[in-house]
Amino acid sequence: MKSLVVLACAFALPGIAMAADHGPVFSYATPVNSQRELSFDTGIFGRGGSLGTQLSTGSSFGYGLTPHLTINAFLPATFGSGSLPESRIMPGSEWSAGASWRFLHSVTSVGKRIESTASLGVVVPGPQQDSGVLSSLHRAPGVAGSLATGLASRSQYLWAGLGYTRFAEASEDRRPDTVSWSGVYGYRPAKLRRGYDQWDYRGFAELTGEHTGSVLKSGVTLPNSSTTTVWLGPSVLAIFKVVAISGGVQAPIFRDASDSIYGREHIRFALNFSYLKYSSHTSSH
Amino acid sequence: MKKIIAAALFSLIPLAAHAEYEQVNLTVFGMDCAPCAHAIHVSMKGIQGVNTVDVDLNTGLVTIKLTPGNNASMRQFNEAVEKNGFTHKDADIVVKGRLTGTANAPVLEVSGTQDRYALSPTASGLDVASLIGKAVTVTGVLPQASKGKVSDTLRYKTITEAR
Repeated sequence: MKSLVVLACAFALPGIAMAADHGPVFSYATPVNSQRELSFDTGIFGRGGSLGTQLSTGSSFGYGLTPHLTINAFLPATFGSGSLPESRIMPGSEWSAGASWRFLHSVTSVGKRIESTASLGVVVPGPQQDSGVLSSLHRAPGVAGSLATGLASRSQYLWAGLGYTRFAEASEDRRPDTVSWSGVYGYRPAKLRRGYDQWDYRGFAELTGEHTGSVLKSGVTLPNSSTTTVWLGPSVLAIFKVVAISGGVQAPIFRDASDSIYGREHIRFALNFSYLKYSSHTSSH
Repeated sequence: MKKIIAAALFSLIPLAAHAEYEQVNLTVFGMDCAPCAHAIHVSMKGIQGVNTVDVDLNTGLVTIKLTPGNNASMRQFNEAVEKNGFTHKDADIVVKGRLTGTANAPVLEVSGTQDRYALSPTASGLDVASLIGKAVTVTGVLPQASKGKVSDTLRYKTITEAR
């Protein structure tokens, strides 16, 4: 039954609210694809800790069904192991697919809009195992939902987002539920508010946080396996017509995680490349 | 010889009478970044008959110049904006069409596109009575219409007999 619910969600709606091609690299944001726009993202995401560095690289595909509804899929691969806690802000080994619906879109003036986007999708175990305590768990699919809201303008950006991921149980094991949140402020200096045929740059300050629940192993909750972390750092986005490059780094400003279970994570970084293929299709009269 | 002359005259008739948009300056709200503008550029260029497109992000102005003999319609320009998730506002247009109706209620028919506008002057003292039934070139403003719609009234600034 749980699998059916998961599948129904996948075909009904999305998953990944991270809008690296149009916005911040770590945080939740509202942009979605134009109608018939195809986007392709690929990048490398790193988590460095006391027990090693864990790298994820992955490819994300998005397609705009309507001006406000985008379907997407994310296929990652991981390298290295850091015995790190569950994270939904940083990609792991799970594959995901879903849809993002921009349900509020208020255009207030030239260059400015206020909007909200909801995403829902499924997360399924990929072919690769996790490291650390998570590697010993039987894995099952999960459901991920998020909500982002904010302002985009020629000079400033402000977004806030909240996400929740819940995994199903498999053989009395269950990955921890995750609550993720983010707040991001972006700025484009006056000198860089140029024509669209030149590189478009903007900088962001990204604040992200995650609370992961307890790990369930053989029907028993693993003590002290719950974690809470908060991260802060800058990122930069550069776009030229159909190509976008973004990169950022974050350091922990709060960490509540057991060092006996997890590696002590001290840095996160990301570098993302996007290609946007816009549709020139128009109707006849 | 007669056939050649007849064919030449026949080929000139549609050129002289062809109703079409010559230029559309459309204000678009909501574009914050270069990809937004590029998406609009690509969409507008996809409309048959569009010659050049220029997008100014800081003013939101999309300037579209069209080739002679085009059949592009206002609905296509508006759709190109809507499909990218933006909002179209007023449009300043230069359009060629046939003036019908009456002197008190003139109507502009852009025959190649099936677009039809009730004309409303932006200033008093503009007399169109002598132009009824003729091909005219009109400059004016199309007020913002709701999504999927095109205004049925064109507020004209100038109206002259088309050459």
